[in-house]
Amino acid sequence: MGWEMEPLLLAWSYFRRRKFQLCVDLCTQMLEKSPYDQEPDPELPISQAAWILKARALTEMVYVDEIDVDQEGIAEMMLDENAIAQVPRPGTSLKLPGTNQMGGPSPAVRPITQAGRPITGFLRPSTQGGRPGTMEQAIRTPRTAYTARPITNSSGRFVRLGTASMLTSPDGPFINLSRLNLTKYAQKPKLAKALFEYIFHHENDVKTALDLAALSTEYSQYKDWWWKVQIGKCYYRLGMYRDAEKQFKSALKQQEMVDTFLYLAKVYISLDQPVTALNLFKQGLDKFPGEVTLLCGIARIYEEMNNISSAAEYYKEVLKQDNTHIEAIACIGSNHFYSDQPEIALRFYRRLLQMGVYNCQLFNNLGLCCFYAQQYDMTLTSFERALSLAENEEEAADVWYNLGHVAVICAFLLQGIGDTNLAHQCFRLALVHNNHHAEAYNNLAVLEMRKGHVEQARALLQTASSLAPHMYEPHFNFATISDKIGDLQRSYVAAQKSAAAFPDHVDTQLLIKQLKQHFAML
Amino acid sequence: MLMFFASLLCSCLNRMACTRFICLSFYTAHDILGKTVSNNSDMAEVKFVFREVLPKQGQLSVEDITTMVLCKPKLLPLKSLTLEKLEKMQQAANDTIRQQEMAEKEQQQITH
Repeated sequence: MGWEMEPLLLAWSYFRRRKFQLCVDLCTQMLEKSPYDQEPDPELPISQAAWILKARALTEMVYVDEIDVDQEGIAEMMLDENAIAQVPRPGTSLKLPGTNQMGGPSPAVRPITQAGRPITGFLRPSTQGGRPGTMEQAIRTPRTAYTARPITNSSGRFVRLGTASMLTSPDGPFINLSRLNLTKYAQKPKLAKALFEYIFHHENDVKTALDLAALSTEYSQYKDWWWKVQIGKCYYRLGMYRDAEKQFKSALKQQEMVDTFLYLAKVYISLDQPVTALNLFKQGLDKFPGEVTLLCGIARIYEEMNNISSAAEYYKEVLKQDNTHIEAIACIGSNHFYSDQPEIALRFYRRLLQMGVYNCQLFNNLGLCCFYAQQYDMTLTSFERALSLAENEEEAADVWYNLGHVAVICAFLLQGIGDTNLAHQCFRLALVHNNHHAEAYNNLAVLEMRKGHVEQARALLQTASSLAPHMYEPHFNFATISDKIGDLQRSYVAAQKSAAAFPDHVDTQLLIKQLKQHFAML
Repeated sequence: MLMFFASLLCSCLNRMACTRFICLSFYTAHDILGKTVSNNSDMAEVKFVFREVLPKQGQLSVEDITTMVLCKPKLLPLKSLTLEKLEKMQQAANDTIRQQEMAEKEQQQITH
């Protein structure tokens, strides 16, 4: 027999080394040995410690930063009762991204997302939510993970995670929530905090968590800011934004914390009040000068409001404080790329590579930057690496699409010598990987048209425009083709759609003008 | 010289819209280069000094033919840590549920 470590110490060590499963197993063993009921025995402090440790380990396993998590269901978006103005003034809402033209790039240069915003350099759980205008768009807009959007908040990702965790534990859940005597726990503040986090993060039972938090804050005579923040979090999850706001504000009065500022700003963003959120962030910066998360919050809001130049300024400010901030580097890099400075973008993405980011997206971006910065030797190897690192079909499709783009430009450069076969194959492969890749359909149509296959091009363009009505390119191309073959009526309809997607597009305006002249002559 | 051609080609490519314009500008480029080389008979000291040329006679016609637009290259956004963790957890959850279902199905088949 060798040395045996004290089990609780070993479990604690596992916890600190983030080996949560081992920690949980050990705690379970310890709890089985000592008389174990629903609740820890107050006479046995060791079993109580094991109980808390197990709860904390289980929480850590599924913990995601609540500030970052934002999941809007269709119901919340479409039946939004919290918005103050249905028709907000320009520059005061996140719903009308197009209204603020200050420094916003034109869609002729920078592709846009379905929500009508220029694509960003960084993806967070809340980035792609957007605020679609119509029900159809809401259903169609993919969330980040390409899965369908949940109907409501409460039926989202968290519930599914909960069911899975229940299936994996054969003896049923660790704590049976319905049998808990919450009042008793509320009187033990240390236990209550661990229990709250377990209920909130692991079980996702927000109502029970709220009950516990309410009892605890009462027990602490409303003097503990931590409980107020937790109540606010629960209210936010339940969609009661105004109540959440009150709790956070009261917590801020007691104790100013960065987290509380961030939660409160999140509430304002959900209420579609970006200007209030901005002011709040600035207040927070007065208390905590140079705080990266606050600066980053400001930059995100500007980016969502389509004010790219201000966003870039704040991202630069972030980098002054923390020069390894991935989000800031990625966003500034993509800004440079789309403002015609691929060389500088390349430096930013190389910096990310040096920092150890190693994934499909980064190599794809490096490949594109290298190509446009005329460093052709690195281009194809980067794309190859990106393809080998692609984790799912959609990523591979995007890489093939970009590769197709490179091939198209090569073919154009070598007019007469080069051919478009490579480009053709790349776009085809992109479509094999992702059948809904509207951009690939559009570019394929352009290539078909160059070969003189009008009917195929038209079919491809129709597919593209039905898949992505927010892009102007398929509409405009369809209008051009229809105009050429004499189908003026369809051309006009498509041109109108193109103008709606991109009002400042000169060629579309010219086409519409020509068509109007034609119609006038009839 | 090659550089010049490359830049010229690029600038032309930017305006793919007008094919005729490209042809015309190619001829003028040849003319300019021809003159500079013939003026400097000593090839060692050939310095290409390009001056802008505004043709004062002859016709320069530009016909704007609308062409189709390609969709732009897409930089892929990087994923935040939270998002990666969420996706991983979701994947793991899906896998466990699927495994359970498969196991149940197999058991049912055995009992039948």
